[in-house]
Amino acid sequence: MAEINTGGGGGKHDGGKVRSKKASTRVDMTPMVDLGFLLITFFILATTLSKPSSMTLNVPDKTKTEETEPIKASNVMTIFLGKDNKAHYIFGKAANEDPEVKTVGYGYEFRQALMENAKKVGGEKFVVVIKPTKESTYKNMVDVLDEMAITKLKRYALVDVLTPDEKKLLKEKVKLDA
Amino acid sequence: MPAVKIKRASSSVDMTAMCDVAFLLLTFFILTANFRSQDAAAIETPSSISGIKVPDSDIMTIGLGRDGKVYFGIDNAQNRIAMLDNIAAAKGLTFSNNEKKEFSLMSNFGLPINQLKSYLNMPKEQQAKVKQPGIPTDTTGAGPTNELKEWVYNARKANNNLRIALKGDNLAKFPEFKNVLATLQAQNINKFNLITGTEAPPAGWKPD
Repeated sequence: MAEINTGGGGGKHDGGKVRSKKASTRVDMTPMVDLGFLLITFFILATTLSKPSSMTLNVPDKTKTEETEPIKASNVMTIFLGKDNKAHYIFGKAANEDPEVKTVGYGYEFRQALMENAKKVGGEKFVVVIKPTKESTYKNMVDVLDEMAITKLKRYALVDVLTPDEKKLLKEKVKLDA
Repeated sequence: MPAVKIKRASSSVDMTAMCDVAFLLLTFFILTANFRSQDAAAIETPSSISGIKVPDSDIMTIGLGRDGKVYFGIDNAQNRIAMLDNIAAAKGLTFSNNEKKEFSLMSNFGLPINQLKSYLNMPKEQQAKVKQPGIPTDTTGAGPTNELKEWVYNARKANNNLRIALKGDNLAKFPEFKNVLATLQAQNINKFNLITGTEAPPAGWKPD
């Protein structure tokens, strides 16, 4: 590309003029390439390419209490976020009715449980109550909220207060000191 | 018959093309990337499928470290000074111009207000060594020892358009997050963003 062949300049021709020897116009690009890649490496390491994404979280206004019709326990799935990346849930019964507590890991198992129960209740009536316990981590919460986005369940609530019934239930059934 | 001499190819390779590529890439990286800012603590965020990008400007970031420490930062250097002025007036403190300038360079911090002044007067190398203890919060969100509420309030006073982003670490415990949540809710902030990494949605999933 940047190379121009100049032929053999400066040769002695018989009786001709003595020409000054022309320097080759070919430049060694190797150091420039070195420099280029050095800079690239620096920029790759020193910058962030992708901006992080964000999910919106809306929480209810604490100053206003709206009276709503009580939700039937049979339509509610209550999820307790426990320790060691496990979630426990009860479905269809309130905590004081001796419900069955099931334990799932986050991810596929969890999504399946959500989908199954949502199907049982049917579309609009299904309500998910998410109750993180003090053993759970921020990641667990984000995972669950993400699951809600994936399964497109619109009716869910993040509640951070556990009733005494629920505490008792978790302690007895899954040995979780909530 | 003389042996046929094989013409040796020159061992020098023409680097021009490679050079072109290198600088093309370099240009691309310079134009697209934004510099990583020096954070008070490393926070590893969980990932979500959400595709909403974090806005570039007018943003207030509340960080939550893995040990439960709370960090705070707003994006604009001018606003940072205004925020510091507001909080100094509220707390009856004064900051010199030098300290203000120093403060405006910090993208986020996790210090109680009474330690801020001595931190700002430290030389740069020493600042990096300081283990920042985090901004004090409490469970009610409005207690007298809760300093996060002061920062949030005064930051919004300095710039009313601030959007609020929460950046929590994977391992941060929920009660600590709850404290931050309570602080925001006590000020009637009910809508905010959670900063997460990006993860591919499951196959066949489409946004509504």
